[in-house]
Amino acid sequence: MNEISLQMREIARDLLSKNEVNLVLGWEKGSHWYKSAPLFINKVEDVDRLVFDEFCHNNLSKYLVDLAHHEAKVAIFVKGCDSRGINRLIQDNVIKREQVYVIGIPCRGLKDPDDAVGKKCGEPVKDAVKCQECRYPNPVVHDIMVGEQVNATARGQETAALIEKLEKMTQDERYNYWSRQFECCIRCYACRNVCPACSCRECIFDRAVPDWLGKANNLAENQFMHLTRAMHVAGRCIECGECERACPMNLPLMALNKKIIKDIEELFGENDAGIDPEKKPPLGHFELNDPEKFM
Amino acid sequence: MKTIAKSRLNELLKALDKEYNILVPFKEESVSKFVPWQEGVDPYFEENTLLPPKDILFPQTEKMYGFKVKDKSVEIEELTQEKGQQIIFGLRSCDAYSIDCLDKVFLTKGYEDGFYRQKRENTLLWALACTKPQDSCFCESIGIDPREAVCADVQIYDLGEEWGFTARSAAGEELLQKLEGLFTDKDAEPLPVQGFSITVDMEGVPEKLANMFDHPLWEEVSRKCLGCAACTYLCPTCHCFDIAGSVKGGQGYKFRCWDSCMFSEYTRMAGGHNPRPSKKERVRNRFLHKLYYFVERYGQLLCTGCGRCLAKCPVNMDITAIIRKIKEAQQQ
Amino acid sequence: MTNPLVPIRGKIIKVVQETPDVKTFHVSTIEGKKPFTPKPGQLAMFSLPAVGEAMFSITSQGPDHLELAIKEVGQLTSALHEIEEGQECGIRGPYGNGFPLDYCKGKDLLFIGGGIGLAPVRSLINYCIENRKDFGKLTVVYGARSVADLVFKEDLFENWPKVDNMEVYTTIDRAEEGWNGHVAFVPAYVEELGLKPMTTITCGPPIMIKFVLQALAKMGFNDKDVITTLEMRMKCGVGKCGRCNIGSLYVCLDGPVFTLEQLKKLPPEY
Repeated sequence: MNEISLQMREIARDLLSKNEVNLVLGWEKGSHWYKSAPLFINKVEDVDRLVFDEFCHNNLSKYLVDLAHHEAKVAIFVKGCDSRGINRLIQDNVIKREQVYVIGIPCRGLKDPDDAVGKKCGEPVKDAVKCQECRYPNPVVHDIMVGEQVNATARGQETAALIEKLEKMTQDERYNYWSRQFECCIRCYACRNVCPACSCRECIFDRAVPDWLGKANNLAENQFMHLTRAMHVAGRCIECGECERACPMNLPLMALNKKIIKDIEELFGENDAGIDPEKKPPLGHFELNDPEKFM
Repeated sequence: MKTIAKSRLNELLKALDKEYNILVPFKEESVSKFVPWQEGVDPYFEENTLLPPKDILFPQTEKMYGFKVKDKSVEIEELTQEKGQQIIFGLRSCDAYSIDCLDKVFLTKGYEDGFYRQKRENTLLWALACTKPQDSCFCESIGIDPREAVCADVQIYDLGEEWGFTARSAAGEELLQKLEGLFTDKDAEPLPVQGFSITVDMEGVPEKLANMFDHPLWEEVSRKCLGCAACTYLCPTCHCFDIAGSVKGGQGYKFRCWDSCMFSEYTRMAGGHNPRPSKKERVRNRFLHKLYYFVERYGQLLCTGCGRCLAKCPVNMDITAIIRKIKEAQQQ
Repeated sequence: MTNPLVPIRGKIIKVVQETPDVKTFHVSTIEGKKPFTPKPGQLAMFSLPAVGEAMFSITSQGPDHLELAIKEVGQLTSALHEIEEGQECGIRGPYGNGFPLDYCKGKDLLFIGGGIGLAPVRSLINYCIENRKDFGKLTVVYGARSVADLVFKEDLFENWPKVDNMEVYTTIDRAEEGWNGHVAFVPAYVEELGLKPMTTITCGPPIMIKFVLQALAKMGFNDKDVITTLEMRMKCGVGKCGRCNIGSLYVCLDGPVFTLEQLKKLPPEY
């Protein structure tokens, strides 16, 4: 039992018994040693289920979208990437800072649960792809912090390498690459449902009037869905990588999102979403000196 | 048992290919599913496929009829795709059981679904007996025998260096006889099934659920659910579908496509009323359907124990954990 | 029917404006025949193929046509309210279990309707009138928000009052100039009439049904004798697509007609 898990339990026990919050969002062990899952606690007896380990992938800030009108304060455990989600939701006016008590956990990087399937606990497991290029391991917003701050280290380059490969392709080659990917999409919307930037009260894909998108599975509709979502999330993506992790078909969604982030940086300067809650998202306002190549 | 060396599998598939479209499990990068076999396709038998074979008989998108609308006139034309005979080769007991469930849904109770029946009556099932359950498998707890598939036409066994085949239906018998020359007849013992890491006691669960509609456990278990459709689309038995149209300039076609009871607008009526307005109602409905309503209506569980849902759910919603909670629950 | 999901071609031969937002559509096949012969209480899937398809109750039938009374609430119904007579359409059916005719035979019957809810009930009322000697006294209690919202006015005020041993009580929610009839919500009116317990068929907005059932229980009506017809979002109409389930029953196949006794055994999810 690691030190962080023990501290998590103490903090949760303290907050709940003092009625400072009536709900704590954290993680617990799931169906296997390589699965940790979200946990909602409203009773002190349940705090001993809280854990933090290398499989706590879920970005709990997503749940704040549903809890926007919760009757009391909510405590939430966040890693570095997750904490950017909290700032994002504050910027989007979905929640107010006072509604959440943020407990930050500096994160040394997580493991890839897909690589652990079939292995026994203790066998080596690859690092999660989404953690390889992490630049914000320490929570950027918190009321208290659990554990020592961590230096950001690049552990791998898979997504960056893919983007580089794509950038060198011709337009046709790129189109064919993404078509092959989108053909595999089963339109389960796990990517959308797990993303903290997807906080629309009624998603465009759920609307019947107008009927933008049905449920037929074909390349055209799959392309429309992914490109639309990438554009809707553009400038607001916090790079938590949950979309790619949640996708049952392993679509390389972060290549799409990170490429857009790269383009936005080239056009509008450095604009990491969810770092500074006061800073306006680049696609949500304009500056007089914005590039006007197309005009 | 009729046997053939594993190295000669291609010969068998080639012979079958003359009259049948064969669908075999195949893995590309990290995704495994059933694909049409042809020379050069190397079937993947190490693990169960990620995508279940249900889309062979119940495609994700299926055209039903075409229509033409001009001024006040409407023309309607049924679209049937004449598919030849096919064999689903190498599906596991869990997926074969799922086809049994789909047969009950689409072919019984008042109406026969023409689109499903046309495919089903031209399909033979060659089921593969499992030897090594995966981390997320629990078919045995559901009452499914990993080595003997229901509604199989031919049962395939892993004999180590060889594959063994036993006919389980008249059609299977006939086909094996036709291919007599390829096989060696011998007595053989199939490899045993290794242990399951997940077991769950299903005893009395449907009966108990009959009185648990208002139980507080649904509020608790539904909180982390994201409301996506990963579980329903990967599930071999889930069969909810939507009907919609594709129209361009007055011409088009009506199709049916997979839908999911987990989507928020699934039961929303024109006018706005929604009998399942929140996640809690939808999650409750999903598990009651799998473990109780289907038992009441068709006499069997709608879960096969394949474990795909709990392996791939982004928040690890675990049907076995929920079943345990149901068993422990105090009656309200 | 080769395939229950494929409709036949139909034609809308007549459109009658009942109220500002309700129209009755008379539908035949292209050849001018009745598409099929439904039992009272059964349903039809009606479509404008380029717009959509939805399930409607069949309110009446003639020798050559079916009648569907449709309220404008959404995409398809709005499109339907724009079309002219002669428009071709798609239709398939009949679906659902219909009203329990054998159970009702020989009995006094009470029909309680609210708003557009009178549409499915009317199919049974007309059946009883056509087979008058098979049924006892017929009592209709019907109400709507206003005079303009009363549907099937011809039946309510001209045809039905003329039928032997049949009483029609009509009410509107709020008093209106020019209306000399009763003013009350339907559940209150039912209680006021103090009717003796008998077999009852009711349909209307969920809120009306709720209070009507309460009133009937107070008046001593037996759960087995109270019959209602439900509405759910439906797509296939034949009990396969999974959408319209209440517990293990499908409203399109095992319903839409249920007795109160049956409903009490089902999860309250409708």
